[in-house]
Amino acid sequence: MAVQTRPISTSPVTTRAVRWTRENLFSSIPNSAVTVAALALLYLVLFGSDPVGQAGALATFDWPDLLGGGLIKFVFDGADWSVVHANRRLYFLFRFPTATPTAANPDETWRIWVILYMLSGLAGASAGLWTRIDLKVAVVFLLLMVPVSLFIGAGAVLLLTGGAVAMFAASYVAAHFAPGIKTYLAVAKNVAIGAWIVAFFVAWTLLNGVDSRLWGGLLLTLFLTVVGIIASFPLGVLLALGRASTFPVIKGFCTAYIELIRAVPLITILFMALVFVPLMLEPDRRIVGLPITGVDFDLVARATIAITLFSAAYIAENVRGGLQSVPRGQMEAAEALGLSTSRILAFIVLPQAIRAVIPSLVGQFISLFKDTSLVFIMGLTDLLEVAGIVTSQPGFFGRQAESLLFVALIYWIIAFSMSRASQRLERTLGVGDR
Amino acid sequence: MAAANQPSPSHPADSLMGLAGPRVLRLLIAAVIAIVGLVAALVLPLAFVLIAACGLAIVTLASRNARLQRYAFQAAFAAVIILVGRVLVSNLTTELDKTNLESLPFVDLSGSFPFIDFSMDFLDRRAGFGLPETSFGQEYTENNSYGDAYLAGLLNTLRVAIIGIFLASIVGLAAGVARLSNNWLLSKLATVYVETFRNVPLLVQLIFWYTAVILKLPKIQDDASFLNVILISNRSVAVPGMNTSDGFGLWLLLLLAVAAISIAVWYLRNQSQETTGKPSYPAWSAAGVFVVLGGATFLLTGSPMTFELPELIGRSHEGGLQVTPEFTALLLGLTLYTGAFIAEVVRGSIQAISKGQTEAASALGLNGFQRLRLVILPQALSIMIPPLTNQYLNLAKNSSLGVAVAFPDLFRVTKITINQSGQTVPMILLVMVTYLAISMLISLIMNVLNSRVRIRTR
Repeated sequence: MAVQTRPISTSPVTTRAVRWTRENLFSSIPNSAVTVAALALLYLVLFGSDPVGQAGALATFDWPDLLGGGLIKFVFDGADWSVVHANRRLYFLFRFPTATPTAANPDETWRIWVILYMLSGLAGASAGLWTRIDLKVAVVFLLLMVPVSLFIGAGAVLLLTGGAVAMFAASYVAAHFAPGIKTYLAVAKNVAIGAWIVAFFVAWTLLNGVDSRLWGGLLLTLFLTVVGIIASFPLGVLLALGRASTFPVIKGFCTAYIELIRAVPLITILFMALVFVPLMLEPDRRIVGLPITGVDFDLVARATIAITLFSAAYIAENVRGGLQSVPRGQMEAAEALGLSTSRILAFIVLPQAIRAVIPSLVGQFISLFKDTSLVFIMGLTDLLEVAGIVTSQPGFFGRQAESLLFVALIYWIIAFSMSRASQRLERTLGVGDR
Repeated sequence: MAAANQPSPSHPADSLMGLAGPRVLRLLIAAVIAIVGLVAALVLPLAFVLIAACGLAIVTLASRNARLQRYAFQAAFAAVIILVGRVLVSNLTTELDKTNLESLPFVDLSGSFPFIDFSMDFLDRRAGFGLPETSFGQEYTENNSYGDAYLAGLLNTLRVAIIGIFLASIVGLAAGVARLSNNWLLSKLATVYVETFRNVPLLVQLIFWYTAVILKLPKIQDDASFLNVILISNRSVAVPGMNTSDGFGLWLLLLLAVAAISIAVWYLRNQSQETTGKPSYPAWSAAGVFVVLGGATFLLTGSPMTFELPELIGRSHEGGLQVTPEFTALLLGLTLYTGAFIAEVVRGSIQAISKGQTEAASALGLNGFQRLRLVILPQALSIMIPPLTNQYLNLAKNSSLGVAVAFPDLFRVTKITINQSGQTVPMILLVMVTYLAISMLISLIMNVLNSRVRIRTR
């Protein structure tokens, strides 16, 4: 260890905080100047003016007013958040039937609640089986849920939301502290994975009980994200294997596909799917003389196809990086053991390759989630479109800032949680430790 | 199986489908078979292609000959791809024939060689729609052709992409370095910036800047400005610009020559610095030569460029450089969004440089800025360029989101053209090929740059 050169001050005035400030903020003259400049910038963003109040004099108009007089003043004083509160159902479900049920148009919201409870229970059980939840995190989460629940609504809705949280907690406790769970842990994990697959199809069936033209808001955004990830991941892995293949025809095809897709913007692919999919795959088309009927490529299906085809090319590139990181000796050793090519890929190469690229894969999934906002080009009403629609109602004109900030917050929470979860997964699996 | 993959020269699997002979001859036969097969798969009725694909699949599964298996499997794959492609394209053309639209450009076997009709005649027709802005001095009115409109869109895309790449690099470099600063407040501010802008979709940010900030700027008649130099309104933002007169072209040519001289000076001084070991300030000397000679030629050609402040005349900004709210919103959104990603690239690259480099540089007595400029950044640059290329490509492609704020870029012009002319298929193919070309151009430039900055290891 280095020798401690600077004696720790014993002066009673020099508390830890002062020492910390001096070391981290005012260690030298340039460092102090940077601190002052950063403070001024922070003040400008938060309070819409500089500490001395001279910035306004530069201009012939009250420019801090543009940002609502600073973020703090805007959020707590200038903004009218009633646009968000009054339209909360629209943000989450848009026209999913219905807040005001009639005989012809029955309330289908129960489908969403069933899915939510199912996912809460599964998420709780999975958390219990795979990890240990930090008590601090749990308390913070529960405290955060209080304003969220109050925002979502009173009465039945509030009770149901609380129920979902309780469901999560109960499944966690049941899975984590069940007597003898240690003995059956491997079995229980397999059961949980199976349950997730079943849950996906149950949710799919429940959602399809309602015409997809009535899907919208956060529901549509999440649907496109989840189905996009589930469909594009295997396709991406296949493309990566194809590109790494020694068969020139397959390698050429996969390379051309990946490079072509990566060179054009998603918006053009969405537009192409909007126009081409119905022309190429109409329900009454005959494929080699066989009538293919019963497949109706509605807008949601077209968007899913486009997002999947687009995302697969990027996932393929990520997985290719992982494939290159697997040492050749692994494959040779597996060959020496007499494993077939498909077994080598499935049990030796792919698990190592995918584990090595988890961070970039999750980054790709986050991109996919953010990219779902582009489906506006097809006329779908995702979360972002709802943000615009609610401000075109009388009474909420000119409230775009509030509406967009709320939507941005939802996107941010989900994307940020995904990136944090990936970091945690990375640590658990010890990527980079090898 | 492993043994079958490595046939000895005398192994029967070494002959192509049982054919023996010299290697060149076998390759020739393989090529002829491949071409005949390809043409047959493209021309024969679909049922034959399907039967061929099934036959090849059966050969793949049943054959004991590894090499034959290889060929049969690839041929089957190609047959299936061609089959699917032909079904999709024939469905498309049938459907387009019904709607009486041109289905160009597709293979037309009834036509003359080479069976592909690439005529895009509609591009010469009158467009009939105006565009609110053009770039690089291009003149465009609604009486121009669709082709001119497309060119205007392309130039608008290029303008926003070039300026955006420049600004995003600066923002990203600053934020990336700031995140690693030992000033706690600065590094936390940079972290908040990066984490906020990276995790919100670009489209949300674009629409926010456009509807919630830029369209809420003061009205043009309010005469709002910063120090009367930057004029601001919700109709246009005007910044000081340059006014050129006769002799500008000549000066520009002379300036190129001056630049060449400066580079020569830099090179020579650098050489002398490397041979003698004495500091001879190559960058400063080159800059001095450039400023002095550039100024002299400027005066010699009769000061062909004047500085011009914008002013408010009636209800519009005149003079200077004016930008529309759409352009401002798109540029702001692209810069801040891509800047956050570039910041992460910069941070990662700097962190990848071993700590010993910093310590060695400190031991040599370099200060913080010198360490960064002379030791860390040159090394980080070579790690940085491939991921930076991806970010530049993303920025260029993301400029197509300008359609959401009504910026007349390539994609928006394409959409309008499709709505007006009904030429869906050719226009979609054209716009994809154009984006492909832009992406390839950026990759090419960055690859050249990459080979220049790569550290030569011994």
